[in-house]
Amino acid sequence: MTTSAAPALALSDDLDELVAEIEARFDDLTLSRVRAWKDAAPGRLAVGCLPVLAPREVLWAAGALPVFIRGAGDRIDTIRGDAFYQSYICHLPRSTLELGLLGHLDVLDGMIFPNTCDVIRNLSGVWQTTFPQHFVRFVDPPQTGERATAAAFLRADLDLLYRDLCARTGRAPEPAALAEASEAYAEAARAMAALAAARLAEPWNLPADEVYQLRRAGDAMPPRDFAALVTAYVTAARGRGRRAEDRIRVCLVGAFCEQPPVALLRAAERAGCYVVDDDLTLSHESSPTAPRRDGEPMASIVHAALTTPRACAVRYDEHGAAGATLVERVRACRADGVLLAAPSFCDPALLDQPRLTGALDAAGIPHTSFKYSESSGQFQSIREQAGTFADSVKLWGTA
Amino acid sequence: MQRLTCAGIDVGSSSIKVAIVDDDGASAQLRTTVVERIRRRDPRVVMRATVDSALADVQLDLGDLAYVASTGDGDVAEGVRTGHFYGMTCHARGGLFLEPRARAVLDVGALWARAIVVDDRSKVINSRMTSQCAAGTGQFIENIARYLGVRLDEVGPLSLTATRPEPVSGICAVLAETDVINMVSRGISTAEILRGIHESVAIRLAKLLRSAKATSPVLVTGGLASDAGLLRCLTERLNEGGRETELVTHRLSIHAGAIGAALWGAFRRRKLDAQRAAELSGPRPPVAPSP
Repeated sequence: MTTSAAPALALSDDLDELVAEIEARFDDLTLSRVRAWKDAAPGRLAVGCLPVLAPREVLWAAGALPVFIRGAGDRIDTIRGDAFYQSYICHLPRSTLELGLLGHLDVLDGMIFPNTCDVIRNLSGVWQTTFPQHFVRFVDPPQTGERATAAAFLRADLDLLYRDLCARTGRAPEPAALAEASEAYAEAARAMAALAAARLAEPWNLPADEVYQLRRAGDAMPPRDFAALVTAYVTAARGRGRRAEDRIRVCLVGAFCEQPPVALLRAAERAGCYVVDDDLTLSHESSPTAPRRDGEPMASIVHAALTTPRACAVRYDEHGAAGATLVERVRACRADGVLLAAPSFCDPALLDQPRLTGALDAAGIPHTSFKYSESSGQFQSIREQAGTFADSVKLWGTA
Repeated sequence: MQRLTCAGIDVGSSSIKVAIVDDDGASAQLRTTVVERIRRRDPRVVMRATVDSALADVQLDLGDLAYVASTGDGDVAEGVRTGHFYGMTCHARGGLFLEPRARAVLDVGALWARAIVVDDRSKVINSRMTSQCAAGTGQFIENIARYLGVRLDEVGPLSLTATRPEPVSGICAVLAETDVINMVSRGISTAEILRGIHESVAIRLAKLLRSAKATSPVLVTGGLASDAGLLRCLTERLNEGGRETELVTHRLSIHAGAIGAALWGAFRRRKLDAQRAAELSGPRPPVAPSP
């Protein structure tokens, strides 16, 4: 079954080979590796998950591989997908539809659409009519801070999802499988924590584009395999021995749904920044501490989902603390400034910006903002903006 | 204040410039400048050779430098540099070092031109840059010179001899090149063609300076700063209609980016040293957050 404790992945300890493996996985738009994983044992399912809050442990426990679908980036031309949306809608739903219409997502058995905005809600409806063969579920995370009610609401949603998926895979919906899945994702979470710590300590050895592609590779990997890949990369990258340069340390904020092209991350770093923290590839966060096997694992999964520390524009901010949380994060990362990067027409990210910039201004933290789309091909202006921002912070201490 | 020796490496599209300066915090002296054209060679090899040549001039090793700053296509200097500064920031600093009265710098390089408005601290106040079109840049003039069989150092003097410039397209480098071919076939003299090209480039650069709200004096830097024909046309354009703009250049204008990078490097080194000293005497930084 899918939840064996040992990773099946054979990994090199050579950094170049690891990076090549990571890039190949990142570039696998047709999900050939997911198909290989499914074909390796009968009864396996693969279920696509849109950003941000997809319950991976529940899918994995049911015998389904969660596969994050974050659009096609700049790697395909979106033609038919454009016909579904007006020009003032972001790119992610268009290219996701294009991937489906091209048959690149045929390996998936279903799609989970967590509520992030009206566009994604609409996309879940479009998906049901366009791909009737798929199991489609719209997951609406609680929008209340009242824990008991929120927990009961989410619990009911996830219990139903778990039962429905198990009915499709033929597995019994047992707590033990949820506990094992939680342990697997806890292992991945610990590896991610080590990756984040290494990047904070040595960003010159762990460039933003590599770290990003590594995390995207993990979007379509079994959790323990991903943990092994992350651990191998961190070890190899720390041994790279690059010299630290005099650059500013920045947090990149706002790119949690539609993803920027990899070249944009390179442009920002080449302009004189080290991206030490970001909210790219944000997803439902697993607790690095697995629940007790004799406890109630679904309750632990719900608790982790509700108490996750990462602030995000699509999460309800009951106490209006998003700005203060960002300031704390910037300070904890010893960042010199913030790049507010929002996809064009992304309502959650753009509506969040005023209160974030207000908090940054009040705290005296320099920031600059720009918009992008996943299909952007020109980065000169962003390089110029990031470059002048880095110079201003280095020389004058302000943006 | 301690004297710091720093280097600046300006990696341009067609050449690499290196400058080494001594900076004591209050004043700076230029020790040497070296320029080397890339000529289809590996830019990393050219960069290293240019740096070594500059170091040999001042009889120093790389390790003797307090800060090595890159600018332009700085990735080429990875492994050698301490840090990188954006081109505009460096031309602003280098420009004011060469001409302290300047309140605007016009950097005309091989692939684009930038109008930079600065204050007396070399801080960039405003700027404008040409779009992706190559018209109005050094590469364009270099291409035309090649078509006409004229050496680059002859372009300016020849243009100055023209009395009846032939207008060329100021919109597009490709159209302008077609214009030039037609002019050659019509028997227009080389000098008149070059003057027409300079007029065309000067119109674009004058618009750039006006849109940046540049104030006088304006120092021209970059590879075209030594083109006397272009400078005359640009002066005429800037002063037409009764306006008075002083356009100045310097024999080291092509090195402004490298000089600026070296000077900012010294500035930054002092700042980093001060920060480090403060950290050593202050509280420890906070611990990292969870991912």
